[in-house]
Amino acid sequence: MKLVWKLLRQHISLPQLAGFFFANLFGMMIVALSVQFYKDIAPIFTEGDSFIKKDFIIVTKKISTLGSITGASNSFSEDDINEVKSQSFARNVGSFMPSQFSVTAGFGMQDSDFHMATEMFFESVPNDYVDVNLQKWHFDENSHAIPIILPRNYLNLYNFGFAQSRSLPKLSEGLMGMIKLDVAIRGNNRIEKYKGNIVGFSNRLNTILVPEEFMTWANKAFAPDKEVQSSRLIVEVKNPADEKIAQFFQKKGYETEDNKLDAGKTTYFLKLITGIVLAVGLFISVLSFYILMLSIYLLLQKNTTKLENLLLIGYSPGRVALPYQILTLGLNFIVLILAVLLVCWARSFYMGVVSSLFPQIAAGTIIPAVVIGTTLFIVVSSMNIVAIRKKVQSIWMHK
Amino acid sequence: MNNINLQHTLPNVFAERDSIVSEVWKKNLELRKGEIYLIEADSGTGKSSFCSYIYGYRNDYQGAFYFDKDNIRHLSVSNWVDIRKHSLSMLFQDMRLFTELTALENIQLKNNLTHYKSKQEIEAFFETMGVADKLNAKVGKLSFGQQQRVAFIRALCQPFDFIFLDEPISHLDQTNGQIMGDILMQEVNKQGAGVIVTSIGKHIELNYNKIFKL
Repeated sequence: MKLVWKLLRQHISLPQLAGFFFANLFGMMIVALSVQFYKDIAPIFTEGDSFIKKDFIIVTKKISTLGSITGASNSFSEDDINEVKSQSFARNVGSFMPSQFSVTAGFGMQDSDFHMATEMFFESVPNDYVDVNLQKWHFDENSHAIPIILPRNYLNLYNFGFAQSRSLPKLSEGLMGMIKLDVAIRGNNRIEKYKGNIVGFSNRLNTILVPEEFMTWANKAFAPDKEVQSSRLIVEVKNPADEKIAQFFQKKGYETEDNKLDAGKTTYFLKLITGIVLAVGLFISVLSFYILMLSIYLLLQKNTTKLENLLLIGYSPGRVALPYQILTLGLNFIVLILAVLLVCWARSFYMGVVSSLFPQIAAGTIIPAVVIGTTLFIVVSSMNIVAIRKKVQSIWMHK
Repeated sequence: MNNINLQHTLPNVFAERDSIVSEVWKKNLELRKGEIYLIEADSGTGKSSFCSYIYGYRNDYQGAFYFDKDNIRHLSVSNWVDIRKHSLSMLFQDMRLFTELTALENIQLKNNLTHYKSKQEIEAFFETMGVADKLNAKVGKLSFGQQQRVAFIRALCQPFDFIFLDEPISHLDQTNGQIMGDILMQEVNKQGAGVIVTSIGKHIELNYNKIFKL
């Protein structure tokens, strides 16, 4: 073996191998680093305990000036809802059911003339989407009492905006719960009076919410002729950072409340940039593979007579190819080790920043870089080995 | 391998020719183990082609060669590797030595594959052939005659059923040719092998069983 190597190492070009070595090193490092970086950063946007965890997204149709003038419908049809439901990111879809009758709510001092009232509206969503304790969330036709959930925003607006500036007393949630609203419902030529109890405040649902069972009954009783059409949907999503959500809503011209989809957009761009960097890295890897193959082919070409003679005195093609295969395998392996070390080194720079900005993110490991590096190593090496073997076989077949 | 059969073989380049006068081409021929043959040829009659066909590195011929019952056209790469290591030895006309290695290294390159001869035996060959002082000299620096002897020693470093010598003494004097003949016969008798020698003029003196005119 030593003699074979002594014979075959002639004409090895160091500059060519060095060229391959560095090109392959950079290619592999860029590929491994981009994957590693993505794996390190992505949890900030996607993982369960991250700061943007929200499983529900409220969707409306965009209200345009033209639509307002022409009176185009901005409610969701049955087809629209089914389409959203069929998307891969959606786990479930519920629709907001608006009241079709007129509502007046007010409160006053008992046994006095002081009384305040206002026109208002109700909406309901399926109970699954209500983020308040559902114990009191029932409607009984005979009791004439309606449980109501208000957005927590309203309370905050009063307490920290209005009451603060006017030195009025602040209202706690418990205190609000004790207020009984006088609710009057008109429609279908009848008027009914109810007591409204505020049973909770919702962070998620930005509306005056009543139980769906009440809404179904009341719409039927007070507005039997009107068709109920929903203008807002509540979508339970698997992963709010999924960029498909933003893409889909963008395409359909729907709007979402808050900026819950920003994470989705960010991950999308993160993926895009990672993809570009990855492609560049792979491209460099492919080029370096080419350099190596050209170099080895040239080497084999220069040594053709020697290889031929070795084959003629009884060496098998496999045995003749072996030194070159070991050479490339060794080079590739050194490249792999160096690339992983370099990625570790580069990673120590950004991980410091990441962990100080997002201490809740788990430290993560270097495994993604090792996995992608090893995969690349195996792919490139096996292609090298096969190519060298083919070349030697072609020398055998030269006749 | 006990015999080599030729059945109507003819190099493709000769196919156009109308009259082939040859005792080998287009004939049925049997070369038997243990016998000694001389193939005499004029230039351009296909002597080198004949060797390369039998050694499996060219196959541009019509007809067929058989090793025992096997048509050599259908032998696999590993079959050939095996045959070249254990059954068939060849002293190439152009030697096919590695000029950048020393004479000894050239021999070892073959012997490491077969482990057939000890270092002492190899050195004894060098001694007998009169090239002992060239053991560690680069082959590139040796004369043609010296190279021919090194290549001959290499051809002996394997077991064989047949040994081919393609113009083995083209660069040797009478005495050295005779020494080579003696060593050859020792090895051949030891192995009970067959010998096929080619020549275009002077040929090594052996007790040939048959002489063919190519």
